[in-house]
Amino acid sequence: MGLEDKLPDGIITTQLEALVNWGRVNSTWPLLFGLACCAIEMIAAGTSRHDIARYGSELFRASPRQADLMIVSGRVSNKMAPVIKRLHDQMSEPKWVIAMGICASAGGPFNNYAIIQGVDKIIPVDVYVPGCPPRPEGLLYALEKLREKQAKETFRQYRDLKSGAPSASPDQIESLESLRSKQRV
Amino acid sequence: MLDVSPRVREYENLPGLNKLGIPAVTPLPAGETADTLRIVGRFGADILAAGLHNGQQVVYVKPEKLVELAEFVRTDAKLHYEGLTDVSSIDRSELPLAEGDAQFQTIYQLRSYTRKQHLTVVCPLENDGDLPSAPSLGGVYQGALWPEREVYDLMGINFTGHPDLRRILMPAHWPNHPLRKAMPVGGEEVPFTLTWNDAEFATLGTQILPAESIAPTVPPGMNRKNMIINMGPHHPSTHGVLRLVVELDGETVVNVDPDLGYLHSGFEKTGENKRYKDFVYYTDRMDYLSGMNNNFGYVLAVEKMLGLVIPQRAQVIRVIMGELQRIASHLFWLSTHALDVSGTGMSLLMYATRERERILDLFEMACGARLTVSYIRVGGVWKDLPPAFLTHLADFLRLMPSMIDDYEKMLTDGPLWEMRLRGIGKLTRDQVINMGLTGPMLRGSGVDWDLRRDMPYGGYENYDFKVPVASEGDCFARYVVRMEEMRQSLRIIAQGVQNLPDGPYKADDRKVSLPPRAELDVSMEAVIHHFKLMTEGFLVPPGMIYHAIEASKGELGFFIVSDGSARPYRLHVRGPSFNNLYAISKMSRGAMLSDIVTNIGSIDIVLGEVDR
Repeated sequence: MGLEDKLPDGIITTQLEALVNWGRVNSTWPLLFGLACCAIEMIAAGTSRHDIARYGSELFRASPRQADLMIVSGRVSNKMAPVIKRLHDQMSEPKWVIAMGICASAGGPFNNYAIIQGVDKIIPVDVYVPGCPPRPEGLLYALEKLREKQAKETFRQYRDLKSGAPSASPDQIESLESLRSKQRV
Repeated sequence: MLDVSPRVREYENLPGLNKLGIPAVTPLPAGETADTLRIVGRFGADILAAGLHNGQQVVYVKPEKLVELAEFVRTDAKLHYEGLTDVSSIDRSELPLAEGDAQFQTIYQLRSYTRKQHLTVVCPLENDGDLPSAPSLGGVYQGALWPEREVYDLMGINFTGHPDLRRILMPAHWPNHPLRKAMPVGGEEVPFTLTWNDAEFATLGTQILPAESIAPTVPPGMNRKNMIINMGPHHPSTHGVLRLVVELDGETVVNVDPDLGYLHSGFEKTGENKRYKDFVYYTDRMDYLSGMNNNFGYVLAVEKMLGLVIPQRAQVIRVIMGELQRIASHLFWLSTHALDVSGTGMSLLMYATRERERILDLFEMACGARLTVSYIRVGGVWKDLPPAFLTHLADFLRLMPSMIDDYEKMLTDGPLWEMRLRGIGKLTRDQVINMGLTGPMLRGSGVDWDLRRDMPYGGYENYDFKVPVASEGDCFARYVVRMEEMRQSLRIIAQGVQNLPDGPYKADDRKVSLPPRAELDVSMEAVIHHFKLMTEGFLVPPGMIYHAIEASKGELGFFIVSDGSARPYRLHVRGPSFNNLYAISKMSRGAMLSDIVTNIGSIDIVLGEVDR
């Protein structure tokens, strides 16, 4: 967005940020990117019973240049790693990543030569969903969490963004204890 | 590059854990059958051993005579082994080998469709230092070409005479052969506890692994004067992470070279390090659309080695689940195939997945999981069916036939479906048999073969069902075969529900199955059995077996070699999608680029099974 470049220091734009975030939250189009078993549950989340379209993810785009959200659904092998990195680089800002399933989060049950132990070794991940595979409702809960994260974004984040820099500093990550305290019963 | 240096898992090498006599080599076959007598009569001293082992015909042959033997058994009228279903290999360096015993062996699974016989040929290779070699059977059976590439890739066995011996599953620059026993499993150390202060989280959000692209090379045999394009691995129509290198002359396809391995997960290496009961979990994740069938195939192979008798109720439940899974897999195939091929696909996807959700509800009732079920275990099933299961299953059986009719109407009433499927991807009967294709690929080209009827397993001999066969061999024939298979599966399920006997849902053998929890309060033996089964696992007598079932995609086979311990020594999975995908080049030659998409959908591949 060009607005970030034109902002000088010291100007806070809250209402505009809320408007922009509202647009981004309610029209996150995922990348049509399924690796393994979790992809089937991702497709199931897109079908009529679970219906991801009601969250605004009406279309899964095949081209990374037109997608906002990359749901890494499945195990990441050594051969696939450079492909994922390239796809993620081809996505334009703003972009988010959900690591769906334990294979994408941490390698899953495949602790061997062939599988990368977590896709966060090559791309930054916003939300991790455990499960093997997580139910479509689990993926939709992750989407809820992502929407909460998207709603809190600021322009400053994108203005200061350099490619290759981490998109989340350690103090921005919520600790496990605070996440637990927010857990709805 | 990942660090694949040896990582010793301390707890697995504790002394005193294994009994005397473990590990042990596979005993040689004994006895004789008509086929082995004929082979020995022809080849004499070149056959090192022949006979029956675990109820299967096995022949050991010297490598020099392997090609001649294959030609003989393929062309001889009394033997007629027209098809080769699998090539696997074994690295026997961790077994107690005798002097002069071969370290590497290649094992071939031959099948006679006309005589309904199966033959295993074992070829001990000469200890040729670091690169053992075997003659390639590519000239005799085309179905051997890709499995031999896989054996070269993972085990490092050189096949002389192979026209195109390059890596198929690992990246092209991978330095070693992972399935060898000298290679460690790899992976990472998993700490017991993690807090936010651990070093692991200091780098959160940054890239800590190099992910450099490998410069792609043009596959051999492609003419650079034609246009060579790349489909995948990220492609909306390739049903997963499959990369196809397509050589085009204008819009006409000249050659298609699949580049596999983007989902290779090391299942076979993992299997060598897990207990038999634990590997059931992994079988779900191979053909992830067909979890029950995968469980079923693996569990039958292990039970055959154990000689276990499964109670009737468990057998019927397994058949019901297997057929439900077949319907679910075919529904998903239909959804994605229609999505790729015809413009109205999205609506058919919604309808077919609605029915599939009903089946997944049934699975969830029985075992708690929708997709990766792990319900069929060694000895029977995990738990008995809940009371609501049969009611919901009856509802499903009542409304499903009209749904299948609806899908057919949606597709065949419009002109698009027939235009895009008729005449595309034609394969003749001889081609499919020689290429080692199975499942609807066989039946769509006129070969009347179904493992459930011709080599029955798990109680299938008690069911009355038709095997649909079409003779045209094109994509439309395979579509017709799969639709009819869905209807026949409904028939089998109805018979199963009608004849569901009461009784235990798993075998009583305490050496294999866990005792019921209540018994743990009263019986010391039960506690000891429970302890031994949960820590070490049950032991399987040393031997070798290849057992195949008719899964949704074709012949799913498990080749297991046991050394007498609680973990498989070698576990090879013959995934039907891997062998079926070989046909894509022949099917697409001369067709247009969009027909490649139709052909991939018609083969019905699942990349988890292709890459394992």
